[in-house]
Amino acid sequence: MKVIYACIVFAIIAIAQIGVPLKMIYDNEDALQFGTAYKFKTQPIDPTDPFRGKYITLRYEMDSFKTEDTTYVRGDNIKVYIENDDQGFAQAVAISKEEIAIKKEYVEARVQSYYNGTVRFELVFDRFYMEETKAYAAERAYTEVNSDSTKDTVYALVRIKKGNAVIEDVIIAGIPIQEYVELPD
Amino acid sequence: MSSKFNKELQVLIRDKVISPELADKIERYYATKNIERPNRLFMIFGVFGALLIGSGIILMLAHNWDDFTRLTKTILAFIPLIIGQILTGYSVLKNKSVTWKEASGTFLFFSVGAAISLVSQIYNIPGKLSSFLLTWIVLCLPLLYVLRSHVITLLSIVLSTYYAVELGFWNHWSIKVPWLYIIFMIAIIPYYYRLLTKNISSNAVTIFNWLLPMSGTIALGAFVGASDDLGFIMYIILFGLFYNIGKLPVFAETRTARNGFLIIGSLGTVVLLMIFTFQLMWDELLPGRFVYDNQEMYITLGLLVVSILVFGYTIFKKGIKTITLFQVAFMVFIGVYAIFFASGILPVIIINILVFALGISAIKIGANKFNFAILNYGLLIVSILIICRFFDTDMSFILRGILFIAVGVGFFLTNYIMLKQQGSNNQKNRKR
Repeated sequence: MKVIYACIVFAIIAIAQIGVPLKMIYDNEDALQFGTAYKFKTQPIDPTDPFRGKYITLRYEMDSFKTEDTTYVRGDNIKVYIENDDQGFAQAVAISKEEIAIKKEYVEARVQSYYNGTVRFELVFDRFYMEETKAYAAERAYTEVNSDSTKDTVYALVRIKKGNAVIEDVIIAGIPIQEYVELPD
Repeated sequence: MSSKFNKELQVLIRDKVISPELADKIERYYATKNIERPNRLFMIFGVFGALLIGSGIILMLAHNWDDFTRLTKTILAFIPLIIGQILTGYSVLKNKSVTWKEASGTFLFFSVGAAISLVSQIYNIPGKLSSFLLTWIVLCLPLLYVLRSHVITLLSIVLSTYYAVELGFWNHWSIKVPWLYIIFMIAIIPYYYRLLTKNISSNAVTIFNWLLPMSGTIALGAFVGASDDLGFIMYIILFGLFYNIGKLPVFAETRTARNGFLIIGSLGTVVLLMIFTFQLMWDELLPGRFVYDNQEMYITLGLLVVSILVFGYTIFKKGIKTITLFQVAFMVFIGVYAIFFASGILPVIIINILVFALGISAIKIGANKFNFAILNYGLLIVSILIICRFFDTDMSFILRGILFIAVGVGFFLTNYIMLKQQGSNNQKNRKR
């Protein structure tokens, strides 16, 4: 390949290599800056990704919806329309495979099962990356807080804009989980 | 030049095999040849350095530094990427040495991974590992044509295989078919082919000769979904394809040990056919159980067409007389399967004969080439076949006994003939 062509091709590749992460940042910043905040009650579990490090998997309490529609099968991508309940936590009001015309925010989810009129699903934003020393401590902290009913519940603070959901923080006993695990016992 | 080589030259002079003048000439010839070659050691260190630094950066970023702000983390994500791009851009623009291109390309490869991984961490982007790998491969695979880099090709093959396995096996959510793996391999083939035609005896080609069929063997499993019965047939065709690729005229001068396609193809074919010498397998594999409109069927047909094309090309180039039984074994199997699948014991007998014939044909090839490895491979095939039949309890003891004696005699005769022939050849050489 002539040097000039090689340079042109390389320039295109280089732009893509910078552009893709920039686009990822733009989409997420957009949701963080201008999205509506919702709270999702959750439970953290601590696994590892070989390249991206430690994270906690969030198992949300909002994980099912009763519907007459029997066409849902495992693996379907769905939209879960949400609103805040009396205590200010997100709850599902409708689910659908396509966008529907209601004035509610929605989040993406995947169907796990359909049984007896209930669709069980998992929300897609289920990862919260943490410093490697803190992920396990976070899981333990959750277990402690959960057994102590006087403390608040654990929830994820999620910013949502047009279906794009970005986790802003995970809150445990009223403070961010990173700070909570650093508290002296 | 190695000191060992110099010592050998001294020995040859001392024993009066060559004159001191000739030794001088030989020494000078190799000295000039070495100057033309790029410094290999330097390249290996350069690439390893880049590999270690690159993966070190990824590991350090995987720590997920909490104390940094989003902006600091974002800037950190882009610094290695920009450095990698400047180095690579410089080596492309100035058309620098292979060492430069390999090392800077390797570093850039890892810094792209680091950048997208850090951005995923900062924003808790939920994508599974497979989608992360996919983005990484797509952003780096084109580099191999700009830099003509072996390391980027190697990393791309490894990551593509990882991607296929991750998507097809390990994704608990919903198993998906990694179609893009095929696209990645198609993108790599022209580069590999160019290497083959330019410098077939190089070590890089040998590595790819082994890595590509290994990757294919691992990744094909990710394409086998619900119709896992068809999986066996897919693998038999795949190994047939590998063997036929290994037999292409371009590999004619390659040593067997350097021809991974040939060895993996041959071993795979023999192992799978050996499994089909058992009646049990045929009872399991009734075609009535297949669903015909699925990805396994398309892959099977696709593989079959490619294999037959490669086989046809070899016949066209080398003539039909050079064809060995190993090259057509997969077609014989498909034929037997298509015609006799419901005929009870008949297909089992045919496949037993086929495996036996494969063993004999390997023995024949080994004897013709005076290659004891191939000869023993053939003998091994036949012996394993016999041992397998020993477990089929419905065969009479007399028949089993006769088979064992036949194999014993076969072993004896083959070795005897081969040794005798080798002896007479040695004698002829001595007379010369």
